[in-house]
Amino acid sequence: MATTATQPPQSQLSTALARDRLGVAAVVFFVMSAAAPLTVVAGVVPTGLAVTGLTAISIAYIAVAISLAIFAVGYVAMARHIANAGAFYAYISRGIGRPVGVGASWVALAAYSMFQVASYGAFGFFAKPLFADWFGFDAPWWALSLVVWALTAVLGVRDVAVNGKVLATLLVAEIVVVFAFSFADIFSPNFSASSAPLDLGSLFGPGAGALLALALTGFVGFEQSVVFSEESRDPRRTVPRATYISIALIALLYGFAAWSMISAAGGDVVGRAGAEQGELFFNVASDQLGSAALHVGHALFLTSLIAAMISFHNIISRYMFSLGREGVLFRAFGRTVPGTGAPKNGSLAQSVFGLIVIVLYAVAGWDPLVQLFFWGGAGGGVGVLLLITLTSIAVIGYFARNPAGEDVWHRIGAPVLGSIMLLGMTFLAFSNIDVLFGVAPGSTVAWAVPLAFGVLTVAGVGWGLILRAGRPDVYAGIGLGARSATTGGFSAALAADPEDAR
Amino acid sequence: MASPQQLPIADDLFLTAHDSVKGKSLLTPATLGLGLAGALLAELILWRRVDVVDGKILIIDDRPTGDPATTAVLDQLLREGHHRAVREWISFLATGVASDLVERRLARAGLVQRQEKRGLLGTKVSFVPADSMVAGWPATRIRTYLGRGEMLDVPDLVLAGLILATGLDQHVFITLGTRGRAQLSDQFRRRLPAMLQELVGHAEAAVGDAVMARRA
Repeated sequence: MATTATQPPQSQLSTALARDRLGVAAVVFFVMSAAAPLTVVAGVVPTGLAVTGLTAISIAYIAVAISLAIFAVGYVAMARHIANAGAFYAYISRGIGRPVGVGASWVALAAYSMFQVASYGAFGFFAKPLFADWFGFDAPWWALSLVVWALTAVLGVRDVAVNGKVLATLLVAEIVVVFAFSFADIFSPNFSASSAPLDLGSLFGPGAGALLALALTGFVGFEQSVVFSEESRDPRRTVPRATYISIALIALLYGFAAWSMISAAGGDVVGRAGAEQGELFFNVASDQLGSAALHVGHALFLTSLIAAMISFHNIISRYMFSLGREGVLFRAFGRTVPGTGAPKNGSLAQSVFGLIVIVLYAVAGWDPLVQLFFWGGAGGGVGVLLLITLTSIAVIGYFARNPAGEDVWHRIGAPVLGSIMLLGMTFLAFSNIDVLFGVAPGSTVAWAVPLAFGVLTVAGVGWGLILRAGRPDVYAGIGLGARSATTGGFSAALAADPEDAR
Repeated sequence: MASPQQLPIADDLFLTAHDSVKGKSLLTPATLGLGLAGALLAELILWRRVDVVDGKILIIDDRPTGDPATTAVLDQLLREGHHRAVREWISFLATGVASDLVERRLARAGLVQRQEKRGLLGTKVSFVPADSMVAGWPATRIRTYLGRGEMLDVPDLVLAGLILATGLDQHVFITLGTRGRAQLSDQFRRRLPAMLQELVGHAEAAVGDAVMARRA
């Protein structure tokens, strides 16, 4: 052999693998499509104003963005060291302990599922008047929800990834619409720059926790950036940059849009939000923009909701796939459709859950806007906040034991600072949960949601301990996900449990 | 043996993956590629050309194998000595390299036919089994042995492992009962060399990876 050089002039292997690698923009687009800008700006913000009566939402976006950016320092650093990055429970399993990781995985499934059903409710509610207006087609909200539910279910099980270019185009169009409407607000005759959305004092007043939890829901999806750690061009730079850019972009977009909407809405923005609901965002700018712009805005609002539900569906079915591969959930969830690679059983389970929720709300006559969309989104937001906080603590724990390869700021400084901020936010969110849901203190929903997360955590920890005692091979694989060489059908067969191999 | 002869592992896997009415692949190209990549590396282990230890490929003998497909992979391994991780090689071979080598090997043996399908966007070339009986044979052989409680040889154990790893078992092992599966699992543990266990595990992880990153 004549080769002595360490790096031959051209490596076919490097070239072939590099071709598929993702750059910063691709990762940002992916993250933002789960964040669904118009859903937040036209849906979450006005509903949040109406339900909580709190207006300091722009400053809350900024405060949450700062906390998340600090959290992300340790989060992206640890992603470089572990398998299955992108799943909070993987961090928690490695940094705090596997039983807590199992509990976290169940909380995550619940929280993401709440977002999923929230988007079904929102679509039904917001599409109803629009369909009546456009097509003269007056259907009940749940019928429209069921249509998009079916669409999501079919796409999920066939794993038709909505074409990346289509998603990117829709996303750019959404962002353009948000900015266009927000600038139109500034030129509206009613506009007077309001300081209420930026009132820093509100973050320390009553209801602060509700504001922060509400703002956090807008960022959910940013944690998916690290899924691409192994796929990115330069893992040390691409993913961190994409994460910070996404967080900053979300804060800027939502903070600005909320500020201009509130400033243009006149004196009683909370009252108007209650009366006009999803139309508030479009109404305040309507006198500056023609009806064509309104139609485009409305259409994109609906596609934004659909993109969000498909995105959450993918996240959930892949979460279940990972857990099924590990043997933490039934092994059946670790199966895919061979011809498409779709994580079939996770997708089906998720669709069944969605159907039950829609039917339940339709039969009981509950409100799709506040009780499904808003409570679902806010409850999911509280769950994700809890997970982020635990993950932040897990990062400290992990680097305390495995300090190699990262500097003090990534290992200790940022994670400790972030954990303190997140613990504060979590405490406030849980103590303000009645304000967040817009109910009297002690109402059913105000204790049921925290209780549900608590029960899931405890049950998960219990299951983790049972696995430790009875199935050490499964226990050892908790948090390693589908990427590990110890999970899957062959590995299960190798680990010798005929029941599992089925 | 009266039945068709046993082929190299990758060829048997390719045929098994095309054991359908029209000879269409039961797997996505990405998943099939990962399976074939694992199969070719397993063949090199059985040729005693490479070892797999702790996720790395070690070349123990650089002489050609006499078979063009595995020799091509071995040459590439020799040329790119600075890349050693099994997972990198599986990913690389799965980009089309493995499928290409295996299709050519099968075509030379007359076991697959080139099929051209003219569509809206140009012509799509694929390879389909020349004889559907042959395509079904490898999986039938495994099922029969397991059904009779007989021992599979090492190449067939690797094949069975890759069938599980790629999810093909949902098509070809459906009729395998609890006993057959227990048999298989027992043989994996006792008769499949550790190196090959590790390799199939890596192939399975690569398939899981592709699902998570929406590339499957």
